Amino acid sequence: MSLFALFAPPNFLNGLLLKFFGQETLNYVVWPFIQIGAVITLVAVWALYASYLERKISAFMQARLGPMRVGKWGLLQPIADAVKLLTKEDIVPEKADPYIFRYAPYIAVAATFLTFAVIPFAPDWGVITDVNIGLLFVLSISSVGVLALILAGWSSNSKYALLGGLRSSAQMVSYEVSMGLSLIGALMFARTLSLSGIVDAQVADRPIPYILFQPLAFAVFLISGIAENNRAPFDLPEAESELVAGFHTEYSGMRLSLFFMAEYAAMVVVSAVAVTVFVGGWYFPGVFWLSRGSANLYVILSLFVFVVKMALLLYLYFWLRWTFPRYRYDQLMDLGWKWMIPASLLNVVWTALTVFLVQALDGWRGIKTIESLTRGLNMTATGKGVAVAMGWLGLLVAAVFLALLNHRSRDFNLKKQRREIRLVDVPKGTPAVATTAAAAVTATENA
Amino acid sequence: MPLVKVPRPSWGEKLRRFFLADMLKGMWLTLKFNLGALTDKDSVRGFGIYTEQYPSVRPQVAPRWHGAPRLNMDPETYESLCIACNLCALACPEDCIDVIPMDIEVTVAGKPRKKKVLDEFIFDTSRCMFCALCQEACPTACLELTQEFELATYSRAGFVWNREMLEQGRETRKFEA
Repeated sequence: MSLFALFAPPNFLNGLLLKFFGQETLNYVVWPFIQIGAVITLVAVWALYASYLERKISAFMQARLGPMRVGKWGLLQPIADAVKLLTKEDIVPEKADPYIFRYAPYIAVAATFLTFAVIPFAPDWGVITDVNIGLLFVLSISSVGVLALILAGWSSNSKYALLGGLRSSAQMVSYEVSMGLSLIGALMFARTLSLSGIVDAQVADRPIPYILFQPLAFAVFLISGIAENNRAPFDLPEAESELVAGFHTEYSGMRLSLFFMAEYAAMVVVSAVAVTVFVGGWYFPGVFWLSRGSANLYVILSLFVFVVKMALLLYLYFWLRWTFPRYRYDQLMDLGWKWMIPASLLNVVWTALTVFLVQALDGWRGIKTIESLTRGLNMTATGKGVAVAMGWLGLLVAAVFLALLNHRSRDFNLKKQRREIRLVDVPKGTPAVATTAAAAVTATENA
Repeated sequence: MPLVKVPRPSWGEKLRRFFLADMLKGMWLTLKFNLGALTDKDSVRGFGIYTEQYPSVRPQVAPRWHGAPRLNMDPETYESLCIACNLCALACPEDCIDVIPMDIEVTVAGKPRKKKVLDEFIFDTSRCMFCALCQEACPTACLELTQEFELATYSRAGFVWNREMLEQGRETRKFEA
């Protein structure tokens, strides 16, 4: 994705740049640098304006107006904030570990910004680099971000920051499992880890987004993604009512804003991966026809489609944050380990069954389900129908499975307590009353 | 052996839980407010914006509401209407008004006479309870409690209004929209 290309066709720009660089240098050094620059600029601007959007949307949902003073509709508010944060004193607490404290924000930002390298924003020159382990790259690099939070929490030498860091590590580690597992189903259909390859597999022949095959995985991925980003309703690491501000309690000024930048950029990463894997990436029906054979226009329109799809998911982030209250810590772990991970594991099994079924049906009584295996599992309309039906049936199966699995999970913690609770003589059929020691004594005296 | 009697969920309740009906209801509500804020500015249908931009948009106070005191002047001659009769000070239950008169020499029908006029008027708004009994007592409609409500100051001394403040109004920084 190159910003300049929005104003000039890359071919023209390519010719211009060829006067200064050799073809090889241009392809492998200059163009990537232009793309990287454009992506970093845009993501940084997004991180600025995400704070504005957050404040505006939260205000609207609470029947308020939000920032209105700086510029028209408060549009310059993020810039005023940035100036304020940049000019603030860079405070390092006296007892903090100064080096780790200083470098933790950089790790957070670097980890999230690195993942943008493999995301296919659009076809052709809309991809910075197409790695054949793209999805693994995203998952592994984004989990380095946890390290930054732990380091920040630990080096601050503050109890709130430390607790926030510990919470974030536990939370992110447990939700990463379900996040990774939920993507496996889509990979079974795409048969590749390259993100461009996954989009290609969805677009091939009869385009179909994988959300139709994998509704359960999509839901699990979204929920885990929100939890992974420490966004409400899973913002335990920075629960302001308990932990002041969590891991960034001691941070101020530029370093604080770096953490925020990392958070908002991570939101973009998760929604970009969700769009790429489940919602068909940059593809939208009719865009190819609309571009009238112009390759550059096609790329730009695809880029627009990608951004719109991503914007819808990003709105969901804000929407959920300002609708739902925060989970309690044990509820969070419950949801992660007892619901999300079993659901994603079931999805893996169920998808394997689906793929098996589709392959078994192929050639049975003249039914043809598979067209080719060149660009992912390329199915005919019948095969797609079977896969979609199985996918949505999987939701029901998952509901039954999870209900059975968690049937009595709530009771487990109460076992020990129940042994200690004795019934005071109450007639049968009335609910029992939990007694304290003092109440038991008075009860025996009365008897 | 449940400690609290929890009714078993009916099938309808179970279905509601399965389809996350309550969560979706909550999300629909916030979405309505969000869309309402963009379309329905003055909250006509109840889903718009309730807050007002205070310094540029001022609220209408109730007609019987009493605020900052004022000493009215004759609109033509700009002389104070106050005749220093002290009735307001006598009427005040909080004893927050001090009327300080002075005698001046006037000539009435060719003879020199003394006349009592207002020299200084002290009104302590920090003690005032805005009952407007002084306004009722005033025979010349001079003392009046206006609808002005911005009475905050930076010091206790700022609450004590003198004659100039009462006549001209207090100097405030006005917000420019």
